[in-house]
Amino acid sequence: MNAAEPTMTTIDSKAVALDRLRPGARARVVHVDGDDTIARRLADLGFWPDTVVEVVRRSPFGDPVQYRLRGFRLALRRSEARRVIVEPLGDES
Amino acid sequence: MSAAEVVAAPRPEALTVALAGRQNAGKTSILMHLTGSIQKPVNFPGSSVERSEAHTQWEDVALRLVDLPGIASLHTVSPDERIAVDYLRGEADEPPPDVVCVVVDAGKLTVELRLVDELRALGPPLVVALTKNDVCRVEGRPVDVAGLQAAIGVPVIEVNALSGAGTHALEEAFVDASVGGPQDSRAIDPDAIARSVQPADDDQGPSLTDRIDAVVLHPVFGLPLLGLVVYGIFQLIFTGADPFIGAIESGQQALADVVLGLLGPGALRSFVVDGLINGVGSIVVFLPQIVMLIALVAVLEATGYMARAAFLLDRVLSKVGLSGRSFVPMASSFACAVPGILAARIIDDERDRLATIVTAPLMSCSARLPVYVVLIGAFFPVAWAGLVLFGMYALGIITAALVAWSLRKSVLKGPRSVLMMELPVYQRPSLRVVMGQVRVASREFMVLAGTVIFATSIVIWFFSYYPRPAGIHEDFEAQRQEVAAAVQDEQVREQRLAKLEAGERAAYLEQSWLARAGKAIQPVVEPAGFDWRTTVGILAAFPARELIVPTLGILYSAGEVDPGAYDVASLDVAAPKEDGLRANLREAMGSDGKRSFNPLVALSLMVFFALCSQCMSTLATIRRETRSWRWPVFTFVYMTVLAWLAAVAVYQMGSALGFGSA
Repeated sequence: MNAAEPTMTTIDSKAVALDRLRPGARARVVHVDGDDTIARRLADLGFWPDTVVEVVRRSPFGDPVQYRLRGFRLALRRSEARRVIVEPLGDES
Repeated sequence: MSAAEVVAAPRPEALTVALAGRQNAGKTSILMHLTGSIQKPVNFPGSSVERSEAHTQWEDVALRLVDLPGIASLHTVSPDERIAVDYLRGEADEPPPDVVCVVVDAGKLTVELRLVDELRALGPPLVVALTKNDVCRVEGRPVDVAGLQAAIGVPVIEVNALSGAGTHALEEAFVDASVGGPQDSRAIDPDAIARSVQPADDDQGPSLTDRIDAVVLHPVFGLPLLGLVVYGIFQLIFTGADPFIGAIESGQQALADVVLGLLGPGALRSFVVDGLINGVGSIVVFLPQIVMLIALVAVLEATGYMARAAFLLDRVLSKVGLSGRSFVPMASSFACAVPGILAARIIDDERDRLATIVTAPLMSCSARLPVYVVLIGAFFPVAWAGLVLFGMYALGIITAALVAWSLRKSVLKGPRSVLMMELPVYQRPSLRVVMGQVRVASREFMVLAGTVIFATSIVIWFFSYYPRPAGIHEDFEAQRQEVAAAVQDEQVREQRLAKLEAGERAAYLEQSWLARAGKAIQPVVEPAGFDWRTTVGILAAFPARELIVPTLGILYSAGEVDPGAYDVASLDVAAPKEDGLRANLREAMGSDGKRSFNPLVALSLMVFFALCSQCMSTLATIRRETRSWRWPVFTFVYMTVLAWLAAVAVYQMGSALGFGSA
C-alpha cells in the first residue's frame, strides 16, 4: 500500500526516526522504512504519511514507548519505532 | 437502517457468516452475545489452525458463525492470518462465507476503514458491526452510524459488546445482506470519511483512560501498583478457592467412605478408592483455583489493564528472551501452570509464546506447596522456614529466566521479536464474556482430567497395588490376633492395631512393581541423597506433584496422610512433634541403620520438586496448546534433567561441606 513507499531520496533535513523524540513531542509521519513484515504491520496500525503522532511516555525501564495516533494508544519498542521516519512539529504545547 | 427495507429475493435456509476484524476489536464478545456460548474450537480444513464456530437462528434462517483469526489487512504476515484470508478469498478447501461481518472498533475508525475497503473488493457482501462506539460517545467523539453507512455503502450496525445491544439487528442485517443486490464498491478515502462522521480527537482534553494511565503507567508508582494487583489476585485465589477445595476434598472423602462401606477389602475397593476417587480427586481439586485464576485474568484483560502490565515489564522480560505479554502467563503459573499456559495465547510472536509455555511450569505452583511445607516443617527451624520457602520460589524464577534465555539462543533462535501493542481504552468487562471464557477453559481442563490424567492415575494405581504376594496378609493377621489377645487397654490396642494397618499397607507397597521400579532406578537417584522410598514417591507423583505426600505417608508408615493438612500456616507451629508424617520422616532409618532423611536430603528433594515437571495436567495442556508432542516431551525431559542435576549438586556440595551428617 501507499504507506510503505520508500521515499528515501526526498527526506528533508528535519526528518528523524520516531524513537529519537522525547515524551510530549508531536510529529508528522513522512514514511515507514523498508517493505517487510514490520513495515506492513506499522502501516496496518495507522502509520501512513501525514499521520500526526504524539509521544506519550516511556515505560519505567525506558522501552517500550507509548504513542498516540489517530485517536488510539499504541506501545512500540524503540527497535520498531526507529522504522518510522517523522518530521517533528513545532512546539505547540 | 437497511434492515427495515422490504426484501424481495427468497430467503436462504442457512447462511454462513464469517466474523473478520482485528484482534481485540470485539469479535469474540459479539459471538458470545449472538449465541450465548462458544462452541468447541474446530480446525480449518487441512490445517491445524483453530477457529471457533457457533450456530444460531434468526427467524427461519439457520446462521453458522465462523470466528476467524484476527486480521488487520489482507497483506498477511502470520500463518493464521494467511488461512483466514484464503478462506475469505474463497481459495480454501471449503466454499467462502455467504456474508462477511467485519467488526470495526469505533475508536480507530481510519485504520479500520482501510480493512473494510480491502474486504469490499473480495466478493461476499459485507456487514459492519461497529463496536466501542459507547466508549467514543463518552470521549465526546461518537461515530455517526447513518453517515458512515451512507459513506461506505455497506450496512453498519452499532453493537455494544458489554450489553449485547444491537446483536439482533446484526442478525437481521446478515440475512438482508445475503439476499440484497451487489454492494457499493467505490474506492473510499478512510481519512476523509472518518473526518466527516466522527469529531476529531484533538479537540478533547485528557480522557478517563489518559487519567488512569497517568497513574497506572507512572514511572515510579506504576510497578509497585502492578505488584499490588498481582498480590491481590493471589490473596483472592488462595482464600477464595479454599472453601471449594475443602468441599471437593470432603466430597471425595464421603464418596470413598460410601465405597468403603459397600465393598469388602480387596483389589476392587482399592481400585475405586485409591485409583479412581483419589487419582481424579487430586486433579479436580485444582479446578477452583484454575477457574478463579482464569476469571480474574479474563477480567483484567477485558478492562485493558493487562496490556499496561505488558508495557511496564516488556523491557525486563525481553532481556531474557520473553516479552511483556509473557507476564500474565508467568504470574498465573504461581497458582497453577495450566491457566498460565492457556493465557500464553495472547502472545503474538510464536517463539515468545513457546519460550513462555515451556518455562511457565518452573514457577512454583500451589501443588508444590504441600511438599515444601512438609519438608520444611520437619527439617528446618521455624526461623528459617520463610527463607527456605522464598528460596524455592526464587530458584524457579531464576531457572526460568536462564532456560528462556538459552532457548532463544538455540532451539528457538530467530529474528528479534517485536512488540506492537494497542493500549485499549479502559472498559468495564462483560460478565457474560468472562463467564464464557471460564466455561470453555474449565471444560477443556475437565476433559483432560477425565481422559489423560484419569488413565495415568489408573496406571500408577495398578503398579502400586500389584502384585499381591501371599503371606503378607496372613503375617499381619497373626500379629493382629496377638495384639487383640495380649493388650488389655482398649486405647493402646487401637493404637497398636492402627500401626499394624499402616505397616501392612507399607509392606504391600514395598512389594509392588512401582517400588521395584523405584529400587531399579535407585542408583541413578542415589547421588541426590534420596532413599528408595523417596524414589518411589517421585514415581507415584508423576500424575500430580502433591501425590508424593500420601505415598511417603504410606511408605514411612504414617498411615493416611492428607496433603491438604499441610498449609503454610502449619509452619508457624513450633510443635509438629505429634505430626505423624513429619516425625516419621525424621526418624526413618535406612537398611544400613543410618537416617534416611536430614535437612540436606530434604533440601535436595525440595529443589528436585521445584524444578521437575511431575504434572500430567501441565504436559497435556502444553500438548494441546502447541498442537504437537514435541514440546510436552521437551518440557518433561529438560525439567527432569535439570531437577536431577540440581538435586545432585545440592546433595553432593552439601555433603562435601559437611552438612550431610547433621
